[in-house]
Amino acid sequence: MSRSIAVVFPHWMQQHGQLGEEHAFRTFEHVVRAVTALSPLVEVQDIGTIVLSARGPSRYFGGDNAVAQKLHQICIDANTGSAFGVGIADSRFAALAAAHLAVSRQLPCVIDTAIAAEFIAALPVASLSRVGGITADSVDLFQRLGLGTCGALLTVGEAALIDRFGVEGKRVYLLVSGDEVQHLAPGAPPSDFACSIEFESPLANAAHVVSAARDTIDAMINAIAGHGQQCVRLLITCHTDHAESTSRIWGEPRGFSAAVTAQRLLYQLEGWLTDSAADPDAPTSGVVRVEFMPLESREVLVSQPLLWGGSQENTERAARAASMAMAVNTSVQVTVPRWEGGRDMATVYSRVPLSLVDITNPDASEQRVHTGDGVARHWSGSVPSPSPASVAVEPPLIRVVDAEGSDVGVTGRHELNTVPSYVEVGSQKYDVVRVAGPWPLEERWWDPRRKRRQVRMQVLVRHPRRGVGVFLVGLENQQWTLLARYD
Amino acid sequence: MGRVAFEELAGMRIAGVETGVQFAERMHAHVASGFGPIAVASQLAPLLPAAGLERGYIYGCTGDAATSLLFGLVAAATTGGSWFAMVNMPSAGLMSAYEHGVALHRTLCVSGDNTSSVMSPVVGALVDGVDLVAVSSPVCSQSEARRIATRVKAQGAVLFVLGKPGGFSLDASFSARTVDWQFDTHARSRTVEVSASGRRVYAHRSCTVQLPGIS
Repeated sequence: MSRSIAVVFPHWMQQHGQLGEEHAFRTFEHVVRAVTALSPLVEVQDIGTIVLSARGPSRYFGGDNAVAQKLHQICIDANTGSAFGVGIADSRFAALAAAHLAVSRQLPCVIDTAIAAEFIAALPVASLSRVGGITADSVDLFQRLGLGTCGALLTVGEAALIDRFGVEGKRVYLLVSGDEVQHLAPGAPPSDFACSIEFESPLANAAHVVSAARDTIDAMINAIAGHGQQCVRLLITCHTDHAESTSRIWGEPRGFSAAVTAQRLLYQLEGWLTDSAADPDAPTSGVVRVEFMPLESREVLVSQPLLWGGSQENTERAARAASMAMAVNTSVQVTVPRWEGGRDMATVYSRVPLSLVDITNPDASEQRVHTGDGVARHWSGSVPSPSPASVAVEPPLIRVVDAEGSDVGVTGRHELNTVPSYVEVGSQKYDVVRVAGPWPLEERWWDPRRKRRQVRMQVLVRHPRRGVGVFLVGLENQQWTLLARYD
Repeated sequence: MGRVAFEELAGMRIAGVETGVQFAERMHAHVASGFGPIAVASQLAPLLPAAGLERGYIYGCTGDAATSLLFGLVAAATTGGSWFAMVNMPSAGLMSAYEHGVALHRTLCVSGDNTSSVMSPVVGALVDGVDLVAVSSPVCSQSEARRIATRVKAQGAVLFVLGKPGGFSLDASFSARTVDWQFDTHARSRTVEVSASGRRVYAHRSCTVQLPGIS
């Protein structure tokens, strides 16, 4: 347990993420660099979240309140235009929660040690998933069990939580008791997997350092993976030839892969190596040594591929990408298919807005696109498979004409009254080679407002330039329309 | 002396020289790292030099069976867990996609104004998180398209461009042409000749498939 300072920008990803995660990291780097003026070792847990140890800065600047004010001023000076909060408390979970509280108050939130326990006890359990890294499923279960606050969870007791929730229960207990493992203490013992690489000649280009260190990163990540673990918090230190150094703790809740590690090293070095003119602490030489020290790892359980193929990680990435795409402009709509059934090609699958469904739930997603309860996949009277690959949203009006140039009609017995010779779509003329159908469709004849009579047929057509093709055409109210094309 | 030379060849990297063993190791590591090619149906594999869709590539789809070919190409990957996004394709037949084997519960349909200022950030955001993205006739300036191509490469996604490629520079382009329709009581199946060309396809490759009917 050690006192921590947290700075959060809860809306950073929404505001700066439109050009991708990489861009968001680069813009956030300015804030991180400003905060390192206060304390050299900070932890970037995710985009928009910085955590640092309170002990050193607090004593140097004369108390928690002074540090909090100073950080608040630094964030204002950084002039990001994004809402932020500064929180100080006895554990990192409490500090993050305090920082989130501080966002709306526009004032730093400092929790004294005397009231630390009451503060955590009063937090709603939802904050465990928001800032504590506990899965939303567990938090949902806590709520259904009537455990609304962290204080209620504390009274349940450690043994009961571990009994019911295993490793996660243990973690929940550590969080709510304010006793969580804390790795921001300087001088922690080196981890077994710590590794480093030295360069013969100083490298001044960040990209060169990353490519030179790539083998070391691969070896370290593989060594950790060999123990069935994945690193979730990593300390990266770079030294120059002139004994300058930069240290940064990076957090990645989804676990570090070699590519992600290399990317974080690149961000760290780019911020440090590039703007040397503006910064008095900027290095005067190239990098000669890079050290990696994994600080926290966890068992590879979360991102394993699911039994039925695919992985939850893919789904979460896709959901994030979709919400980013929707944030571009109000005209952008993201929809997902839902099985409706029926005989009309255009509505057999409807498109429901993403905001109405939870795509991260695999069972619900499969249920959504599958034949629902009691709805048969094949409706009698529907167009035989294969189905057309492009279905007109607003079917264009066409003419189906016989050799003499008069419109083709359908008799009361659903038979064509003449032999179709060609189909006119706009200015294009297609010769009819063969016809399948017509298939009558009479729906809801009992309802005078919604009843519908239609005849559909497939025509195999030939165009002098476009070759052969198949159209699905429909006749309704004496008017032929091009319902779909077999593209 | 000769022994040293052999070890050098077998184990160490000599500038500019890569032995077959090293190549095989590199390819194996490439596949194991999750950045290997994305699987496609075995009938379509002869079209692709890597027997799968290369991550980071931009593919073009043209011809009268372009949409069906697209469904055929992505079907195996979506059932394997990859997500698929269709941008600006409001008329894509979802029932047809289902019949081609596309996992619809991992499919997103995206629509929006077809202008460069909307389409570029939308496609860019999607390739960040979705493995397979298809966009139909995009309106995209060349500089925007290059930026998207960089993101596609960085994220290991695959981008399909249907119709006119706009500003995109395609790594490979497929052309699907219907040769014959089996049409009796209704349209049953068709023979499609697919050819691949482009700067990442070394020789002209083509194959003839039945659509639908590949798995």
